[in-house]
Amino acid sequence: MNSLALIHQARPRKAGRAVVGVVLLAVLGALALAPWFTSFATQRLLVEIFTVFAMALAWNLLAGYGGLVVVGHQMFVGVGAYALFALSNRLGINPWIMLPLATAATALFALLSALPMFRLSGAHFAVGTWVLAEMLRILTLNNEWLGAGGGMPLEALASFDRWTRNAGVYWSALVTGVGALVIARLMLRGRLGLALMSVRDSEAAAAASGVSIQRAKLALWVIAGSITGLAGAVAYMNTLQVTPDATFSLNWSAAAIFIAVLGGIGTLEGPILGTILYFLLRESFSGYGSWYFIGLGSLAIATMVFAPGGAWSLVTRRWAIDPFGVRRDMPRR
Amino acid sequence: MLRTDRLDAYYGLFQALFGFTFEVRPGETVALIGSNGAGKSTLLRSIVGSVRTRPDGVLLDGRPVGGDPERKQLDRGIALVPEGRRLFPSLTVRENLQLAMRNGRKGPWTVERLMKEFPVMEAFQHRPATALSGGQQQLVALSRALVCNPDYLLCDEISLGLSPVAVNEVYQLLGRARRDGLAVVLVEQNVKRALSESDRFYCIQKGRVVLQGSSEHADHAQVAQAYFGI
Amino acid sequence: MQALIETIAGGLMLGALYALFGLGLSLSLGVMKMINIAHGDLIVLGAYLCSTVMQLLGIGPFVSLLAVIPMMFVIGYGLQRVLLNRVVGRGALSPLLLTFGLSIVLQNILQEVYTADTRSLQAGEFALQGFDLGGVSIGLLPLVSTVISVAIFAGTSWLIGHSHLGRQARAVADDPGTARLVGVNDRNFFALVTGFVLAVIALASVMYGIRTPFSPTAGPERLLYSFEAVVLGGLGNVWGTFVGGLIIGVAQLLGAKVSSGLGPFFGHLVFLVALLARPQGLFGKGSR
Repeated sequence: MNSLALIHQARPRKAGRAVVGVVLLAVLGALALAPWFTSFATQRLLVEIFTVFAMALAWNLLAGYGGLVVVGHQMFVGVGAYALFALSNRLGINPWIMLPLATAATALFALLSALPMFRLSGAHFAVGTWVLAEMLRILTLNNEWLGAGGGMPLEALASFDRWTRNAGVYWSALVTGVGALVIARLMLRGRLGLALMSVRDSEAAAAASGVSIQRAKLALWVIAGSITGLAGAVAYMNTLQVTPDATFSLNWSAAAIFIAVLGGIGTLEGPILGTILYFLLRESFSGYGSWYFIGLGSLAIATMVFAPGGAWSLVTRRWAIDPFGVRRDMPRR
Repeated sequence: MLRTDRLDAYYGLFQALFGFTFEVRPGETVALIGSNGAGKSTLLRSIVGSVRTRPDGVLLDGRPVGGDPERKQLDRGIALVPEGRRLFPSLTVRENLQLAMRNGRKGPWTVERLMKEFPVMEAFQHRPATALSGGQQQLVALSRALVCNPDYLLCDEISLGLSPVAVNEVYQLLGRARRDGLAVVLVEQNVKRALSESDRFYCIQKGRVVLQGSSEHADHAQVAQAYFGI
Repeated sequence: MQALIETIAGGLMLGALYALFGLGLSLSLGVMKMINIAHGDLIVLGAYLCSTVMQLLGIGPFVSLLAVIPMMFVIGYGLQRVLLNRVVGRGALSPLLLTFGLSIVLQNILQEVYTADTRSLQAGEFALQGFDLGGVSIGLLPLVSTVISVAIFAGTSWLIGHSHLGRQARAVADDPGTARLVGVNDRNFFALVTGFVLAVIALASVMYGIRTPFSPTAGPERLLYSFEAVVLGGLGNVWGTFVGGLIIGVAQLLGAKVSSGLGPFFGHLVFLVALLARPQGLFGKGSR
């Protein structure tokens, strides 16, 4: 086949990619302009969606690409949120400026926590993270400086008017959600991603090829923890009050796990699909109280039994698509 | 009679057997000769139920038994001595045998009979099974299958890694079982031993039968060719 | 000094109960190689079943066990047969996530049926009785719990070492594929093990329910204590779980003496520190 024909083949694919790019930019633009044409309630919901998405994405990175299944994901949420509130209140500085610092604090926590946690593996590791999260919750509950059981409000936000406050939190959440996705994709297509996926395929072979498994997992742990910490900080800027029981609650892990499981563990598309499904279900059925949770739990069980690859695996069974370009193997027909 | 009919089998996504047809008659010993990776283990595991196959791929006395779990095959009289012996480290020698006997069929082969035939086994009966030498472990592994009182015994590489003395002991025990009327399928890399201990043989290469015949009248040159695929 | 001895004695007896919580988890981790996140919620389920039976038939908690133990056995057998067998052997992730979902379902079913109020099992005078042992006051209920726990551990240990079921359990824990070759029907066997686990849970839940007020969301904490007992003692070692439980119990009560809200925290702390020092647990089989 001559070179002219090859170029003709490449052009439609490149054109397709360009169209997708334009659509994405348009969507992002619309989202960024949201504070001007949506209500406060809608913005608050969107903040929840973006922050929970970031947390679920982080969880998915850990479990799906790093083999690090975590049931104590809430520890990052709590550390990030409390760091933001404590620093912002004590130093009296604008919380938006404090967000990077809160993220850094969570990153440091992740680094330190790896010391004990990485001694464990598998189910032990999973429950070990839960134990650690519980310890943080109890410590915070008993700490007067952090407000003990009643928690703390975010005082520094009081000086802003409502529109600015909501818009600011909304944009932070948007940046967090989109940023998490961008970071995840960059990471997975880079050296770290390659290292992790080689470990996922065969740990022995990866080690023999010179991949530093511990370093790769640690890097992933710190990145995922930081994303979750940032998301937690922004999420609590939305609610304006941190309390130990809510901030270190297992519910954060539950949401992240459901989204990852329902959407598809070990993919980038999974958390997106999962978040959409999760919030659709919540907005439609949470009025049913316990029955909503029973349904959600049953859905998770059914997914693990019948479609362990999540909703995204059902999509790829029908169409062999790969929007993020991180797939490495051929989808099984 | 135990036979396979155009059996296909997969090891994960990799096809290991292609239309494999062979048979074992009651009381006879059949050797399966082939190099590593030829599909011998997959064949045995397909028959005994560890690898799924289509129901009429394996036929026992004319009845389709393919794809049924190991427990059912054991009840029907098909037992496997797995490659690498695979004794249970958390159980003593005696316990390894007791477990199998309790789950297997009733018959002349019992734990007590084996203890009497092999004083060494009796001496070691309360030691953890993996504390024995390779040869002793193989005797225990073979005994563990025998106490299930099968009609067809499938043996996967029972001489692998053993000293000549140990191999002789193992084949002595097997000989006693064959004298009782047991049919044996013998997977062996040692061609000489395989041919001398069997009535008929099949050469298997890349999942296919490439040569078969009577062991007594086997042309060793032909067999070597089939083995190496020259 | 006397207070210290009393605290330690109390901790040991509480620990014996935690050990009993952990026994079931130890069995399912050892034989089926899976962690059941819903384990704690099943303990709470047992307590609620006892409560219902007691109310319906007007009997005491220990008598209600005659009905609750068989019920829990059947629930466990069915759970394993219908649901959990589908994910056994599929790696560590599937059972963990499935039982996580199960945990949520259980908690919310209990909430629907029984409301979120706490309740406890009424044992009347029995729960309040105690006696003096050399100046140290010992509660009768904790003592009886401890005796029952030791008896169950001894019985289970004997079963594992000397019965056909125990041999099968050890074989499956060693090598599930070869166990099938010697005729172990693992689908049925796993279901029997889970049935047994839930029967033991029923026993533990009665003593738990008398001693502590419980509510539908009390499960996760029980799971953590069970898990700590098992891992501290070392996988694959039944009596190790017993010792692990004792340690957690003592740590919690001593911690509560130091600062009243921090009891469980000290249990967690001891667990983490011990795990860092010796990842395979006290009596574990070393690195695999």
